[in-house]
Amino acid sequence: MEDLGLKIFGAILTTIMAFAVGMTYGGIVRKLTARVQNRFGPPFYQNFLDLVKLQSKKTNVAHGFMGHTAPVWIMVASITVLMFIPILNGNLWFPNLSFHGDLIFILYMMVFGSLGMALGAGQTGNPNSAIGVTRGLSMMVGFEIPFVLALVALMVQYHTTSIQDLMQIQHESGTWLIFSNPFAFLAALFASLGMFRYSPFDIVGAPAELASGPMSEFGGKYLGTMMSGGSIFAFIKLTLYVDLFLGGAGNPDHTGIWATLAGIGVLLIKTFTLYMVPVFYGWVSPRYRTEQAIRYFWGWPTALGIIGLIWAVY
Amino acid sequence: MNLFFIILLILFSSAILAFISNRIVRGSSGIIAFIGITAASILFFTRLSIGNTYSFTLGGIQMQFGLNSFTYLFAIIVLGLGVLASLYSIQYMKGKERLGYFYFNFVLTILGMVGIIFSQDFITFFIFWEIMTWSSYLIVIYNGYSSSKVGIKYMIFSALGAYAMLTAIVSIKGIYGTFMIKDAIAAGAFNFTDHFYIPILLLIGFAVKAALMPLHVWAPKSYSMSPMSFTAIFSGAMSKMGILGMGLVLTSIYSHASPEVSVYSLILKQVLGWLGGITAVMATIYALIQTDAKKLLAYSSIAQLGYIVVGLSTGTKLGVMAALFLAVVHAIFKGTLFMVAGAVERQAGTTDMTKVSGLIRKMPYTFFAALLSIIALAGVPPLGGFVGKWMLYESLITESNNYFLVIVVFFSSTAAFLYSYRFLFGLFLGQEEKETEHVKEAPLTMVIPMLILALLLIVTGLYPGILFEPIAHGMEYLGYSHVNWDMSVLTNIWGEQTNMSYIFSLIGIVFVVVFIFITLKGYKGTRNVGTKEISTSGEIPLEHENLTYQMDFFKPFERAAAPLYKRSMNKIWNDIGNALEAVFNFTRKIYTGNGQTYALFVIIFLVILLIFKDSLFAN
Repeated sequence: MEDLGLKIFGAILTTIMAFAVGMTYGGIVRKLTARVQNRFGPPFYQNFLDLVKLQSKKTNVAHGFMGHTAPVWIMVASITVLMFIPILNGNLWFPNLSFHGDLIFILYMMVFGSLGMALGAGQTGNPNSAIGVTRGLSMMVGFEIPFVLALVALMVQYHTTSIQDLMQIQHESGTWLIFSNPFAFLAALFASLGMFRYSPFDIVGAPAELASGPMSEFGGKYLGTMMSGGSIFAFIKLTLYVDLFLGGAGNPDHTGIWATLAGIGVLLIKTFTLYMVPVFYGWVSPRYRTEQAIRYFWGWPTALGIIGLIWAVY
Repeated sequence: MNLFFIILLILFSSAILAFISNRIVRGSSGIIAFIGITAASILFFTRLSIGNTYSFTLGGIQMQFGLNSFTYLFAIIVLGLGVLASLYSIQYMKGKERLGYFYFNFVLTILGMVGIIFSQDFITFFIFWEIMTWSSYLIVIYNGYSSSKVGIKYMIFSALGAYAMLTAIVSIKGIYGTFMIKDAIAAGAFNFTDHFYIPILLLIGFAVKAALMPLHVWAPKSYSMSPMSFTAIFSGAMSKMGILGMGLVLTSIYSHASPEVSVYSLILKQVLGWLGGITAVMATIYALIQTDAKKLLAYSSIAQLGYIVVGLSTGTKLGVMAALFLAVVHAIFKGTLFMVAGAVERQAGTTDMTKVSGLIRKMPYTFFAALLSIIALAGVPPLGGFVGKWMLYESLITESNNYFLVIVVFFSSTAAFLYSYRFLFGLFLGQEEKETEHVKEAPLTMVIPMLILALLLIVTGLYPGILFEPIAHGMEYLGYSHVNWDMSVLTNIWGEQTNMSYIFSLIGIVFVVVFIFITLKGYKGTRNVGTKEISTSGEIPLEHENLTYQMDFFKPFERAAAPLYKRSMNKIWNDIGNALEAVFNFTRKIYTGNGQTYALFVIIFLVILLIFKDSLFAN
């Protein structure tokens, strides 16, 4: 029982860390974007202030059952996926269930939240929300193709579908998978541009056109919970990429307190570097229309993914 | 008297009774059909056990009824769905015309399927196959024969399949001298050695029923034009008869292929797999541009059958298991979805998604059933649909090394999210309109079957082992040895696992905690509003202004995927049909039907004979 208690404690710790990191990253990006656009910008902890404000609203507007549960689906998806992704390689402080769910499961679980949220946005009856959702879903068909190509390439190359095994392979061979299959990494990196929905792929929310798309009818505790779930999810996506391509973080042979802290440091550096790719790309790109975005993903990214898959097979 | 005969007799007599009783007491045929099918199912599941056989001779031909563990799996689908669909049908068909005709054919279709499951030789198989085809044809034209040529298309393709099958059966008798299915397999009828056309012809016959491209064009309209209570069976159970046949033929091809011809079976694997994959993709992208919920579901059925064929075509343990699992789960969720469409049609008058919207508050139970089945259809964890998809992907990646087919299947199942959302949004979410204000929840006997099926999806997600057990027995009957399965753990051959019970409990715990949090937090300050109280960016919409978004729903996707929409199998078949018609028109110029013309032909013929008699009869 003591073991179980420790695990639950670890799970809560993981969630809190993912939440804090995701929120901070979002704040930093807001600040950086503002500086690039020659504005002063909010402080990096602005997202936390926003969350406190949203959660302390006295009145909230509920839009029926699906609208009420939309933030719940996002939280469920975020936390469930988080539990199945190894944060640090073989570290007891961050236990996870990755032996009980493999990459195919993660792939499907990652869309769970978007679909739940799409249903919630649908029930509000706001046409802007529905338009945003159709754009988001259509774009998902776009970027999932290179992403899946990259993942299948990795699975085929190393004969495993488990994230933990892929991390272990990188740890033992000392080579990151970004070097052993660069094409797959590039395909996945392009796909991540669509996943993070920064410009040029921000047609879903499309500020100044659709209000804020799927989110337009949510406020107060609903928006606050969605924001928290979304931040955790951003951290998950980054960690997944780091685990798969950048060697992960942490050392299974050293699990002391200092080694753990060092592992977290490495993880933060890697995830932040990766996070800057879609952000930088967004700064210099105007917005694509939905069909242009889909075509974009079906062009070079898919071609790279196919090359990566052929590379993996032969 | 033998139990097989009793079950068939109960079904047959209830078909006759249903036909007659409607003349005596209007509306009673539905109840009689339900009682008949239920009685037959109770007898089947309590008295009949796997391995029973009964032989008899008819007209000098030895025939055999029997039950094996492979067909038992399909009996679960047919009878389970049959009972629920006939219960649903009582209220759904209430007040419609020609109920006797409808229920006569309804029960007869189920009789045909049960007969197929019982038959151990090709002759009974073919007879019951035709009973099933004809009675379902009569229901397809229930809403009017002329309505967009739907009946004729179904009949032509069914006849094509039946001829192919009959040719194969007669060839088997001619070459191997047996009608028994088991003997033919043992004699090597499907070995691809000399008579490779036999399995191909049989596969064509089955592919018609399984709506595999390019033989699928009858399906969208036949599915959507029949009454929904029948389509639940049509798409849920009857298409699985094609899968039954394909499974039988394919596994015998793969397991009995000798090394020198194994290259043919490799080609067959690839061809069938890609046909299945392309069927899935094309049907999916056509499903998402439909505006009628029934047609959307019809196309989606074709797509789902594509996945099943992909699984069967691999021939590996996990692949076949995935295919059979998907077959059962598809029967459950597609049966539910067609019932949902029927409930909406009955309560709101139409399933056109541009006319109906915002039914969630009016039909909450129907929505709940639709939601669960859509989750399973999309393959999202943790319901049964995910289990099938997981096994399908893993088998393609780990066992049959068909990597690019994985991508095709994945594309189709990601695009399936689009039409899944379209279905739920179109009927249940979105703006509530004045036209649908009067709509109420469907009657109890329609809601109960839907909810039972929807709850089965949760059970198959949490404990897929319940289905793995009969599937594993069925596969062992087909010749696979040591089919491993677990109650709720999925394992691929590389040893990776997905544990459904962990997933279920994690999702459950997080859902409950967050749900309680979001409900209780600021409970008093939470105001429930309707769909009219929305943010409109400062503008106030007038009374007549419509805020419903239903037209051109996925236009951006359509634009992006425009090249895919250019080719249509339907158009190709129509061109073939037109070309044939031109040939027939030419024939009509010769055979005018005028006696004088025929007399002229005789004279011309005689003249030709006289002129050329020397060169023709020289010696």
